Amino acid sequence: MTNENEFTGADILLKALKDQEVDTIFGYPGGAVLPIYDAIFGQNFLKHVLVRQEAGAVHAAEGYARSSGKVGVLLVTSGPGVTNVVTGLTDALMDSIPIVCISGQVPSHLIGTDAFQECDTTGITRPCTKHNYLVKDVSKLSETIHEAFKIASSGRPGPVLIDIPKDVQFAKSKYISKKDISFREHRIKAGSKNVDKIFVEELVNHIKKSERPIFYVGGGCLNSGHQASQELIKLVNKTNIPITTTLHGLGCFPGEDKSSLGMLGMHGNYEANLAMNKCDLMINIGARFDDRVTGRLDAFSPDSIKFHIDIDQSSINKNVKVNFHTNTDITLTLKEINSFIESNNINFDDKDYSNWWGQINEWRKKECLHYEQGDEVIKPQHAISRLYELTKQKDTFVTTEVGQHQMWAAQYYKFSKPNRWITSGGLGTMGFGMPAAVGAQMANPDSLVIDIAGEASFLMNIQEIATAVQYKLPIKIFILNNEYMGMVRQWQELLHGSRYSESYVDALPDFKKLAESFNAVGVRAKNISELDDTINEMISIDRPVIADIWVDKKENCFPMIPSGAAHHEMLLSKYDKENPENQEKGKVLV
Amino acid sequence: MSSTSVYPTPINTFKQSKRSVLSVIVDNEPGILARIVGLFSGRGYNIEALNVTVVDVKKNLSRITIETLGEEKVISQIIAQLEKLVPVHSATNLAYLSESYEAEICLVKIEFENEEQDQKILNFADIYRSRTVQKRQNVVVYEISGTSERINKFLDDLDTIGGIKVELVRSGPIGLGI
Ligand SMILES: Cc1ncc(C[n+]2csc(CCOP(=O)(O)OP(=O)(O)O)c2C)c(N)n1
Ligand SMILES: [Mg+2]
Repeated sequence: MTNENEFTGADILLKALKDQEVDTIFGYPGGAVLPIYDAIFGQNFLKHVLVRQEAGAVHAAEGYARSSGKVGVLLVTSGPGVTNVVTGLTDALMDSIPIVCISGQVPSHLIGTDAFQECDTTGITRPCTKHNYLVKDVSKLSETIHEAFKIASSGRPGPVLIDIPKDVQFAKSKYISKKDISFREHRIKAGSKNVDKIFVEELVNHIKKSERPIFYVGGGCLNSGHQASQELIKLVNKTNIPITTTLHGLGCFPGEDKSSLGMLGMHGNYEANLAMNKCDLMINIGARFDDRVTGRLDAFSPDSIKFHIDIDQSSINKNVKVNFHTNTDITLTLKEINSFIESNNINFDDKDYSNWWGQINEWRKKECLHYEQGDEVIKPQHAISRLYELTKQKDTFVTTEVGQHQMWAAQYYKFSKPNRWITSGGLGTMGFGMPAAVGAQMANPDSLVIDIAGEASFLMNIQEIATAVQYKLPIKIFILNNEYMGMVRQWQELLHGSRYSESYVDALPDFKKLAESFNAVGVRAKNISELDDTINEMISIDRPVIADIWVDKKENCFPMIPSGAAHHEMLLSKYDKENPENQEKGKVLV
Repeated sequence: MSSTSVYPTPINTFKQSKRSVLSVIVDNEPGILARIVGLFSGRGYNIEALNVTVVDVKKNLSRITIETLGEEKVISQIIAQLEKLVPVHSATNLAYLSESYEAEICLVKIEFENEEQDQKILNFADIYRSRTVQKRQNVVVYEISGTSERINKFLDDLDTIGGIKVELVRSGPIGLGI
C-alpha cells in the first residue's frame, strides 16, 4: 500500500535539507548513497558540487561554513568514502566549524558482517565529531537530521555525522518538518542566554583599576556572529585598551586599527606577546589558551587577573586558571558590557593607559615583522604584502594551507572583517586551503577568493582544481614556492642542527603547465620585477588561476617562540640564538 | 619557631590524585557507553570502575557511575567534557554534594580445607555482616556490600587466613546524592 504522505528516506533527507535552507552540498557518489543521488537527480533547489576526493568535500564544506556563517553540508558513501573525511571532521571539531556530513552505510541486515565497503562509521568518527548518529529506523530520520543541524550550529559549533544504511534510504515514512520538532534542551547545549551581570560589573571595575589591560580575542568571537565584532570594536574604542587576536580571531577586529597589536602566539607579534606577558588584566574573549598561544605555561602572563568569556564550559580553566569566567554567548555579554558602561556613564577619558601604550610603542619599535627585500629574489613576506596591497580594495576571502606561508599570510595580510580568513588552526591540515577556497567561492560567487598556499600542501589536494574548473569557480591559488616543506625545514634548522631530513620537495610539477592541463590558467613570478604584474594578472583573470611565486628558499618565519619557551624568550631573527636548555626541552614538544 | 634547614627543601610538586565518584545521567541510546569510555581513554583519564544500568524505563534514562583518579582540576575538566556529550543530562561529582551515599556489592566464593579456616571465615563474615548466598562442604559464597573501602577491608582480612582460595566479582561503586 502506498501512502502519499509517506516518502523514502532519500526524499526525507532532501526535504529536511530544503527545510534547513541548504542550497549547496559537496559530495562524491558510491553504492551506499545511490538512492540519495537518485533523489538529487530529480530536483533543483540543491546544487551538488562534485569534488574529486571526499577530503575535498569536507574542507569545501568547512570553507563554505566559515565564509558564510551557515552550516556546510557534505555527502559521502560508506567505507572509503567516509574514512576519507576523517581528517576534515577532526579539523572542523578542532576549529569549531559547523558542518553536517551525511554518509551512506551498507544495508542494516549486513551491518556487522564485514560487507563490501562496510566500516564502523559511527565508531571511527565518534571522537572526531561533536555528535554522530546511525539511523536504523526511517521514522527517526527527519528528527535526526533537524537535531543534527541544531547541534552543529549551537553553542560551540562543530561537525555532526549522520550515517544512513541503504535500506533506510529506500524505506518509507512520514516527513516531520523543522517547525514541528521540539528539541530536547539537554541535547542542544546552546550555552546560557542569561548574561552574568556580576561578571560584567567585575570586569568593568577591573578595567577601571587596571594599569596594563589587554584584550585577547579568539575564534569564539567569530562564531558568535558579526555583531560580536561590532560590539568588540565599540568596547575597544571606548576603553582604548590594546587588543591582540589568535590565528582564528584575525578579522574580528580591524587589523590596521591603532589599537590592534596583531596576532599573538608562536609566530605572533613581539608587542602582542610581550603585552600578554606583562599585562595586569587579561580579557579573553572566545580564545582557548592553546599551547601555540601560551608558550611555556608556568611563565604565561604571570601577573594578570584573567577574565574569560567562552560558551564552552570545558575551555574554562583547562590550560590556564582564570579568576572570572562566564559561559554566556560573547555577543550578549559584550552588549551588556557596553550598555553597562553607557548607562552608568562610565568614562575612560582619564584612563588613557598612557604608560602602558608608551611601553607597547617601545616594543613596536623592534619592528618584529621587518624584512629586507633585495632586488632579485622575492621574499615570501613581500609577496604577501604586495598581494594585500593589490587586493585590499576588493571583497576578498583568503584561505591557506599549512606551513610558513600560512604564518606569513597571518602576519602580513590584514583583515578588517570577520569570516574573511579561513585557515586550519587546531589541526594544521595541509591540503585544507584549496578545497576550502572552492567552498568559500561557492558561498560567495562574486568575491575574490585566494588560497595562499605552499607547494607541498597544494599537492595534497591538488585534484580539486578540477572541481573549481568544472563549476567555473575563479579561485586563485597563490603558491609561495620555496621547494621545501618550509616549516619543517625551519624546525630542522633551529632544533635539529640543520639536518634537512626529507623536507626538500623534489620532483615538483611545473605548476603553470599543470594549471593548463586542468584547463585552468597558470602564471608565474620568478623575481621581484615580475611580482606585481603577476598578481595583477592573476586577479584580472575570471577563471581558476595557479600563481607560482618563486620565493627565497631559505627564509624563516619570525618572530618565533620555540616550543617550550616563554613569551619573553621570543626569537626575532636568524641572528637570535635559542637558549640551549629550552632547545632540548622544546625538541620533544610539537 | 622551626629552624631553617641547612639545605633547601624542594617544593613538593607531586600532584594530588584523588579518588572521585562521578554520577552521570544519560539518554539510553546506542553508543553512549562508547562515547563515555572513549572520552576517558582519548583524553588520558583513568576509569577505576564503571557501572551502567537503565534507571528510568519511561524516560529512557541510564545512570552511569564512574570511579576515577585525578587531581581536582582534572576532575572538573572531566565533568565539563562529559557535560558536552549530547546524550548527557548531567554529570555530578558525588564528593561535592553535601550528602551522598555510596555502595558497592561484591560476591566472594571462598574454598577452604579445614575447620579452623571455616571458623575464621565465619567470624569475618559475621563482623562484616555479609550474607551467605550458598554454603557447601568446602566452599561458601558470600554477598557483601557497602563502600568500596569496606569491601577492601573485608578482603584484606580474608587474606590473613592462609590456604584458602578466593574468587570474586565486584560491581564497582554506585552512589546517590540526597
Ligand atoms: C597533513 C599534514 N602532514 C604533515 C604536516 C606537517 N607539516 C606542517 S607544515 C609542513 C610543510 C608545509 O610545506 P609547504 O606547504 O610547502 O609550506 P611552507 O612551509 O613551505 O610554506 C608539514 C609537512 C601537516 N601539517 N599536515
Ligand atoms: Mg614550501
